Amino acid sequence: MMEIQLIINDINYKVDIDVNMRLIDLLRDKLGLTGTKEGCGEGECGACTIIMDGESVNSCLVMAFQANGSNIITIEGLENNGELDPIQRAYMEEGSVQCGFCIPGLIISTKALLDKHPNPTREEIREGMSGNLCRCTGYNKAIDAAQKAIEYLKEGQNDFKNSW
Amino acid sequence: MTLKTVGKSIIRVDAYSKVTGKALYPQDIYLDDMLYAKTLRSKVPHANIKIDTREAERQEGVVRIFTHKDVPLNEHGVVLKDHNVFAADKVRQIGAPIAFVVGESEEACINGMNKIKVEYEELPGVFDPLEAMKEGSPKVHGQSNIIYHYKLRCGDIEEGFKNCVAIAENTYTTHMQDHAFLQPEAGISYMEEDGTLVVAVATQYPHYDREEIARTLKLEEEKVKVINTNVGGAFGAREDITIQIHLALAALTLNRPVKVVFGREESFQAHSKRHPMVMKYKTGADKDGYLQAMEAEIVGDSGAYCSWAMNVLRKAGVHATGPYHIPNVKVDSYAVYTNNPFTGAMRGFGATQIPNAAEQQMDILAEKLGISPFEIRQKNIFKTGSKTATGQVLLESVPLDRCLEELVKRYDEFLKLKNVVDETIEEGVL
Amino acid sequence: MKKRGVGLGVSFYGTGYGNGFPDVSNAEVQLLEGGKVGIFVGATEVGQGAKTAMIQIGAEALNMDHKDIVLVSEDTSQMMDSGTAAATRQTYNTGNAVKIACENFNKRLFDLAKVELGLNSTAGLVAQDGDIYLGIFPQKRISYKDLSEKYKDDIIRVVGSFTAQTVKMDDETGQGAPYWPYTFNACMVLVEVDTNTGRVELLKAAFAQDVGRAVNPSLVKGQMDGGFAMSLGYTLFEDLALENGVMKNRKFSKYLLPTSMDMIDVENIIIEDPESTAPYGAKGIGEPVTIPIGPAILNAIYDASGVRIFNLPVTPEKLMKALRESEESEAI
Repeated sequence: MMEIQLIINDINYKVDIDVNMRLIDLLRDKLGLTGTKEGCGEGECGACTIIMDGESVNSCLVMAFQANGSNIITIEGLENNGELDPIQRAYMEEGSVQCGFCIPGLIISTKALLDKHPNPTREEIREGMSGNLCRCTGYNKAIDAAQKAIEYLKEGQNDFKNSW
Repeated sequence: MTLKTVGKSIIRVDAYSKVTGKALYPQDIYLDDMLYAKTLRSKVPHANIKIDTREAERQEGVVRIFTHKDVPLNEHGVVLKDHNVFAADKVRQIGAPIAFVVGESEEACINGMNKIKVEYEELPGVFDPLEAMKEGSPKVHGQSNIIYHYKLRCGDIEEGFKNCVAIAENTYTTHMQDHAFLQPEAGISYMEEDGTLVVAVATQYPHYDREEIARTLKLEEEKVKVINTNVGGAFGAREDITIQIHLALAALTLNRPVKVVFGREESFQAHSKRHPMVMKYKTGADKDGYLQAMEAEIVGDSGAYCSWAMNVLRKAGVHATGPYHIPNVKVDSYAVYTNNPFTGAMRGFGATQIPNAAEQQMDILAEKLGISPFEIRQKNIFKTGSKTATGQVLLESVPLDRCLEELVKRYDEFLKLKNVVDETIEEGVL
Repeated sequence: MKKRGVGLGVSFYGTGYGNGFPDVSNAEVQLLEGGKVGIFVGATEVGQGAKTAMIQIGAEALNMDHKDIVLVSEDTSQMMDSGTAAATRQTYNTGNAVKIACENFNKRLFDLAKVELGLNSTAGLVAQDGDIYLGIFPQKRISYKDLSEKYKDDIIRVVGSFTAQTVKMDDETGQGAPYWPYTFNACMVLVEVDTNTGRVELLKAAFAQDVGRAVNPSLVKGQMDGGFAMSLGYTLFEDLALENGVMKNRKFSKYLLPTSMDMIDVENIIIEDPESTAPYGAKGIGEPVTIPIGPAILNAIYDASGVRIFNLPVTPEKLMKALRESEESEAI
């Protein structure tokens, strides 16, 4: 057992972990942040994507102790007081969601991409999503959503009240 | 008809919970005092087995190991009841469940699982469906591997071919495909205070699951409740039972919540696949480009269990003509057991494999006749009032001509892009 | 060398269990507290959009806002059996059951409204946005909310059921009407074959899908994209490497699913031709959307390279082998 400290979605955590615990298990099993999903356990599907110190990473490939001192964003951190992130809003409006299991990872990857490159082309978005597998949607509507989110972010729109 | 809601692209009702990560899939459910479970699966495709769980049961943290002895009625299946809840004395495919280890932690379950002794007396296996149809082949269940034979007879096939100037005769094969939904199988089972057994899973058909749980455990259906959580994709692979009965048996026996979560490899091993098919085709058209005869023999590999094999090979047979009017048709389709992973429902259900043969046959015939792929299709497709080879009249809503017309409209644009490269190749640019 | 080709694929698909097997869907509609309407129906949401489509069909039949409908499809103790979420049957079969149940619900509310409003007949009553009123004298009006309060001890609960029509085929001749309705589609793709590597790249695609009527066009196009991608994977990449019963490729690092980089923008064309036995004309499309893409790719590969692929999947190794064999036979 060891103790680590980290920030997740702007909240400070001090937690005891096993040295062989993966970051995804810390998030899901210990902290109840089950929005992050596990689809393959080998970093191929991207369902477990989170943002760690500004970079998108597969949380199934990171050990929990490696997250000591880091700043993490998970899907739960995007909605703020009932206000959706423009990317979440765009995913809803563009019909980008089907079964939904890959969606938290896809949204986080989209965010990681747009945080770094606010104005990517459609092809660059394709590339930015290529680490996330989706079996339902064929990706196109997720790309549509990313493009719509770019517009929302440009307009500075973040007043999308949750009415669902 | 003026419609207010139908026809509108309203936002999905489940979109909000899914974009926020709030939607619960079975792996996201954690209950107080819950136990974990792992499934021991066959490592060989065909063998007589003997199981010894005594040492495994003594491992620290192992609460109970369930095997075939614990199941009141050890058989299930969507059509034939040829699946065992747990293999009893024989395994027929790699991945067949043998035991369900329940413990205080996942580690304890794995530890216990590793201590179960399975003695495999290997039997000759059969892995090619055509081989499996032969008399002397190893048998997977009973006396014959042929589960089902569908026959379609329409017109006079020999006369039909006499009228043909172009005939294409080829054999096509398709392979096994996995559904690969993103959410691996998971579930949790528990008892409610009034004695209701609850199984929370992601399934395509909760009422069927309830029926099978009740039947195999000899419970009244009213005493079983299946909760369908969010389902992380299905595509046919969540029609057969995987974890439902195992979980129910464990929670019922131990009176504690029991949870199981598959990894990706176990998911590949546990659920059905798309049927590989061997499709022998002979198709003929007359000098004017009209199809006159089609003969097909289709063999589908059902793997070790039937699942939906009959329905899938029936569907393959009915769709063997493609969407074309053909006056003389003879189709034989077969579903066959092998020791491969079992196959079942997958999006398209036998009708997906067929056009890989039938549609290539159309292009081959068009080339022989010197007409375009569009022309041969336009001449032969089903239209309103057409009769299928089974004698069914298509009375309405048959807009295949319109579908094709949309593509005709765009063909020049495609052709332009196709020819761009030809020119650049000639110019030595590429 | 890179060679381009265009290919076509068309298909039909018979929806429903079929072959005379009783294909029954049931739905129950309840007036809920506060005047909302609950639809209890075993139409599993697997991602295809069943929940949304059933609510839209219900809203249409009840002539009310879809946001005032609550649909429960998750608990066997609360909902009726509507068959499996498979066979492309939910929109048509369960959609019909929901529509019938909602129509029965309206009739029941009209009977109650007649009494509550002191009318002689239900003739001319209109249901709209959670109110029932008399068309010729709209002041005669009662809301669902008021009705739900008046009948809170005797909950208004109405069922509807639909059984699809098919005819079992003859065992010897296969004659019969095994499925109803059929759905149709056609797809055209442009591919580029790299004759040095055996790689096939999709460049352009148009996909026309008959839907009867689109309940939700965005959902339909989402299904079309998804079916396209699944078929693309089936045709070109996905290979379990099955040998003597062993799946060698049983992880995502080896079993290759199409990524966003493999997928292209598809021009999805919805063709509407309402089916009179379907709810508002809507037929299912969940499975058919995977069918014509593979054949279109195979025909395009031939158009590009002159090589016919008879065995799926068209992996680069397999295509290279076929290209070599075709060159050799030409040389002879």
